[in-house]
Amino acid sequence: MAVRAERGEGGDSQVEGGTLRRSLSYLTRYPRLTTTAVLGLLLATAAQLAVPQIIQNIIDVITNNMTVDQIDLAAADQALITAMVMIVVFAVARGIFAFIQTYTSQALSHNIAFELRNDIFSQIQRLSFSYHDQNQTGQLMVRATDDVERLRGFIGQGALQALQALILLVGTLSLLFFTNLKLTLYILPILPITMVVFGLFGVKAQPLFRGVQMKLSTANTILQENLAGIKVVKAFASEARERARFRQSIDDLLEQRLVVSRTLSFLFPTIFLVANMGQAAVLYFGGREIIGGTLTVGEWQKFSIYLVYLFFPMGQLGFIIGMMAQAGASAERIFEIMDAKNDVEDKPDAVELVDVKGNVVFEGVTFRYFVSGEAVLQNINFEAEAGQTIALLGTTGSGKTTIINLIPRFYDVSEGRVLIDGHDVRDVTLDSLRKRIGIVLQETTLFGGTIRDNIAFGRPEATMAEVEAAARAAAAHDFIVSFPDGYETAVGERGTTLSGGQKQRIAIARALLLNPQILILDDSTSSVDLNTEYEIQQALDTLMAGRTSFVIAQRISTVVNADLILVLDQGQIVAQGTHETLLENEPIYAEIYHSQLDDDMVAA
Amino acid sequence: MFDRQAQLLGVEVRQARSVRSTLSRLWQYYREYRWLVAVAFLLIVFSTGAQVVVPVLTGQAVDCYLAPVEGGGVSCLFGEATTTAERLTGLGKLIGLVVFLYVGGTVMTSVQFYLISVAGFRMLRNIRADVFAHTQRLSLGYFTEHETGDVMSRFTNDLDTLQQIISFGLVQVIQGILFLVMIVGAMFANHVPFAIISLVTLPLMFLATQWLSRQARRAFREARKEIGAVNADLQESIAAVREVQAFSREEENIEQFGAVNAANRDANVRAQAYSSALAPTLEALSYINIAIVAGVGGYVMLRDGILWGAPISLGLIVTFISFAQQFNRPVQQLALLWANLQSAIAGSERIFDLLDDTMMIEDKAEAEVMPPIQGDVVFQKVWAGYKPNEPVLKGIDLAVEKGEMVAIVGPTGAGKTTIINLLPRFWDVTDGQVLIDGIDVRDVTRDSLRQQIGLVLQDTFLFSDTIMNNIRYGRPAATDEEVVEAAKLARADQFITRLPQGYETVLGERGTGLSQGQRQLLAIARVALMDPRILILDEATSSVDTRTERQIQVALDKLLAGRTSFVIAHRLSTIRNADQLLVLKDGQIIEQGTHDSLLAEQGFYYDLYMNQFRRQEESEKDVVR
Repeated sequence: MAVRAERGEGGDSQVEGGTLRRSLSYLTRYPRLTTTAVLGLLLATAAQLAVPQIIQNIIDVITNNMTVDQIDLAAADQALITAMVMIVVFAVARGIFAFIQTYTSQALSHNIAFELRNDIFSQIQRLSFSYHDQNQTGQLMVRATDDVERLRGFIGQGALQALQALILLVGTLSLLFFTNLKLTLYILPILPITMVVFGLFGVKAQPLFRGVQMKLSTANTILQENLAGIKVVKAFASEARERARFRQSIDDLLEQRLVVSRTLSFLFPTIFLVANMGQAAVLYFGGREIIGGTLTVGEWQKFSIYLVYLFFPMGQLGFIIGMMAQAGASAERIFEIMDAKNDVEDKPDAVELVDVKGNVVFEGVTFRYFVSGEAVLQNINFEAEAGQTIALLGTTGSGKTTIINLIPRFYDVSEGRVLIDGHDVRDVTLDSLRKRIGIVLQETTLFGGTIRDNIAFGRPEATMAEVEAAARAAAAHDFIVSFPDGYETAVGERGTTLSGGQKQRIAIARALLLNPQILILDDSTSSVDLNTEYEIQQALDTLMAGRTSFVIAQRISTVVNADLILVLDQGQIVAQGTHETLLENEPIYAEIYHSQLDDDMVAA
Repeated sequence: MFDRQAQLLGVEVRQARSVRSTLSRLWQYYREYRWLVAVAFLLIVFSTGAQVVVPVLTGQAVDCYLAPVEGGGVSCLFGEATTTAERLTGLGKLIGLVVFLYVGGTVMTSVQFYLISVAGFRMLRNIRADVFAHTQRLSLGYFTEHETGDVMSRFTNDLDTLQQIISFGLVQVIQGILFLVMIVGAMFANHVPFAIISLVTLPLMFLATQWLSRQARRAFREARKEIGAVNADLQESIAAVREVQAFSREEENIEQFGAVNAANRDANVRAQAYSSALAPTLEALSYINIAIVAGVGGYVMLRDGILWGAPISLGLIVTFISFAQQFNRPVQQLALLWANLQSAIAGSERIFDLLDDTMMIEDKAEAEVMPPIQGDVVFQKVWAGYKPNEPVLKGIDLAVEKGEMVAIVGPTGAGKTTIINLLPRFWDVTDGQVLIDGIDVRDVTRDSLRQQIGLVLQDTFLFSDTIMNNIRYGRPAATDEEVVEAAKLARADQFITRLPQGYETVLGERGTGLSQGQRQLLAIARVALMDPRILILDEATSSVDTRTERQIQVALDKLLAGRTSFVIAHRLSTIRNADQLLVLKDGQIIEQGTHDSLLAEQGFYYDLYMNQFRRQEESEKDVVR
């Protein structure tokens, strides 16, 4: 987080400009909308600039006739009516074009956000495990939501408003110069002053706001932790201490906010004061010229309206500059995802893996998460014949999970080869490879949708009969039909809550339906009661029958019945063989085995 | 600007049931700062007044000094002028006054802005502190019913909307209304018929604003549902990306997401049609208003200068044009703020709902400090439940002598957790009594009770702080040596000292960086440091490798020795060694005894046990062979 913030706010404006330009290049995907928006902007601004001129005309008509003795009433009336009609016409035009500008630029921004989200989503779906190991769900979510929204805001209004502000600024200034150079020179010094104040605002306010954000996130972290760990808080009777801790954090926040207020309550009104001083200057110096006879009241009024047009875009630009910095940081985070290199991809000449028997060979496999990192697996060699059960045994971090992750090619080996029926897994298509491998993980995630959808997750085209058969084999059918909606019961975040054991059985049914030749199991039943555990065990036995199975073993029975046991320690196979041979020849295995026996076995 | 507006219009406006009571609650918080607010309000009146006076002064400048008409009947503030020199000084004086008003207005705005933020932010801090303090008092039952995210969002989203309105939103509303009222007042004071003509577009502005905002709000409500679907899809597919890839579902998911994403885009674009129309409509109306003022004024001026019996001057037209120009801003602001105000009220309602929730375990007024616990525990006909009429425990009777170990087994939902929640009084019985050393737990203070009961939960919760402070959590006063002592007892010392920063290692959020087993060892150390007489253990067997599990077991055995303990049992060793075994089903104890006596009964426990361990017995035969 800290690193991110630094980078986001950091002074690498070149990178920032680059990413912003890149996000603006999305505009070219919608040439018609973009052109319409810019056209609307130009016409709306033109109409806006015309109005003060007509107001001048009206006032001039009045003043001209005030001083003349003989009034040509018909001509004056005609001029007045023409001017009124013109204002109405320009007002309507301004309204229509401003609407077109706003609407199309918003539509544009939503279309671009749509593209960005789609791009991010597909990229995330395809990126390999090693990417996801380094990026948490929450962070990726923020990029796909907040960052996209911020960038959308910038493209949808920031970019176009900046353009509008510039056009208005330049247009107004040239009009002012054109109509009355002298008066323009009087107010010109106010422009740099305004810019300095805005600059000051940017320099002073940005770090202050960041300070508020930091204090706020500190307070929220304390809060989040407190709520998530409320049971611990209560168990240790530390409510009072937590209260004090939180109070301290929100007092800090208040302090920081008041610092910001002090600065802003000075800066904001000052900006308006500068603008108003410009008005006073026009009133005074313009007034002097009127008295001197070199300026008309109408032109004087026009000047004062144009002056508003001059300050308004400057305020807008100041606002947009702040927005730009944030949008740039967001764009950078978004493109970071899009540019992430996927290290696991189909080779151009990858072939389909067909008729899998289930023979799996690891040949001198070494694996590192990072090129220069420590080896997580070192020179792993073993062969699993079709239909065998392979049990992996070892402490946390010994490399069990890494081994099973290499079989469906969630990661690529650093050295050596993984072969399935003699094919290097890197030579076949990912799709055909993974469709032949069933996986039951310890933590089962169910997706939004019905139970049926979830069982058919890997084979959406499966028939109801097939789904039901899989559920029966996984000992899940009975509890599924006990729900009022049966297989159509909605699950996932907004659906029925299933117990851990029920979820696990659905995961088993899901793997069964694939009818895979190779099976990978994380054989641990967490937090289920004893009865359920027994049922799950039976379902797993059904699943494993006749398939090459890799099991991260927690239960003694699994180990004992395995055809091949791999004992892992610090990324190496320290012993392999069957239960009998290992028990006889490998003291380390005997130790592990007995230690667990002491705990779990019934004393004879 | 437009986007912000769209956002505000999009806020769900919940029809507040008791707006008045919510407002009066808010007033309670405001009260403390009422003088600050009153002074600020006074300053707003003056600074807004200054804003309204300037166009009037400009009009005067025109009529008295710039384009004076003889016998125009205009009363001049700084006297009428005939010579050029007099006109110049008059103008100078008027502009001097304008500058003075500008500067004065700026100073007042500065002060007002600061006062309001002081009041607003302090008030907000007070609400935050109150809400937090209240959550600390709420019983665990509240947190089983409400998810952490839900409670969090009251602190973040609801308080944020409230904050926006409390400080500057409210000021802007007041300022906007004052500004409108003052402009209208100034117009009428100057020229009643002209004022009426100038105001013809104002009702149109209000109507357009109201209609467009309502349409936009409706459209945005639709759009918000779509973005909800987008976020749910994102969240799910990212969190479970490993499974998606394992089942080769990437392409289907991408296609599915594309559809949801497109629906969201379309709904938003539809909604934009209304919100994009608001500002241009108001702007066009204000230009038309200028045309009317200038046209009608000019028409009258070209003739006798009398409109319905009252004279019009050029200065008056200038003043009115200036007013007409400024109409649309406050109208637009008010529309946005109104929506914002309503959502802030809805937000505060949710905050006050939480504050009013009385699901609490409170100390009795006469509660005494729990004397040092010996460890005798008695449950007398205990009934308990989280919802009325849905008892979880139905008449539990139990007597535990000090130093005994009680193992509780039973299916999910049988009431195991509820039993252990009653001891530290996380929850109160609905009927019956829980006695420790003969004292009803409801008769002593919670703190003194809980400080003597140790708890090791299945899902170990650690704070993002140093290991030292995490172990010290239950006894902040413990010395470093005592902490190390406890860690040694819990067998945690070994892995801690192996970390580069040792005890000063700062743990990530929820203890990330440590393995599950290591976290459990820390939780055990934390309890060991408290040296409680009663221990509650939710045994966790999952995701720990065999060797670590063994270490945990050794640590627990040490900890349990000599203390009364309640264990939700998963491990066979625990079950076998327990002094008492409770089999719980549907809130009742259906079997009670020791391992051997229950096996002999051949009841529920027997089946449970046999089911699970048949396979182990089989493999045991293998070993024997």
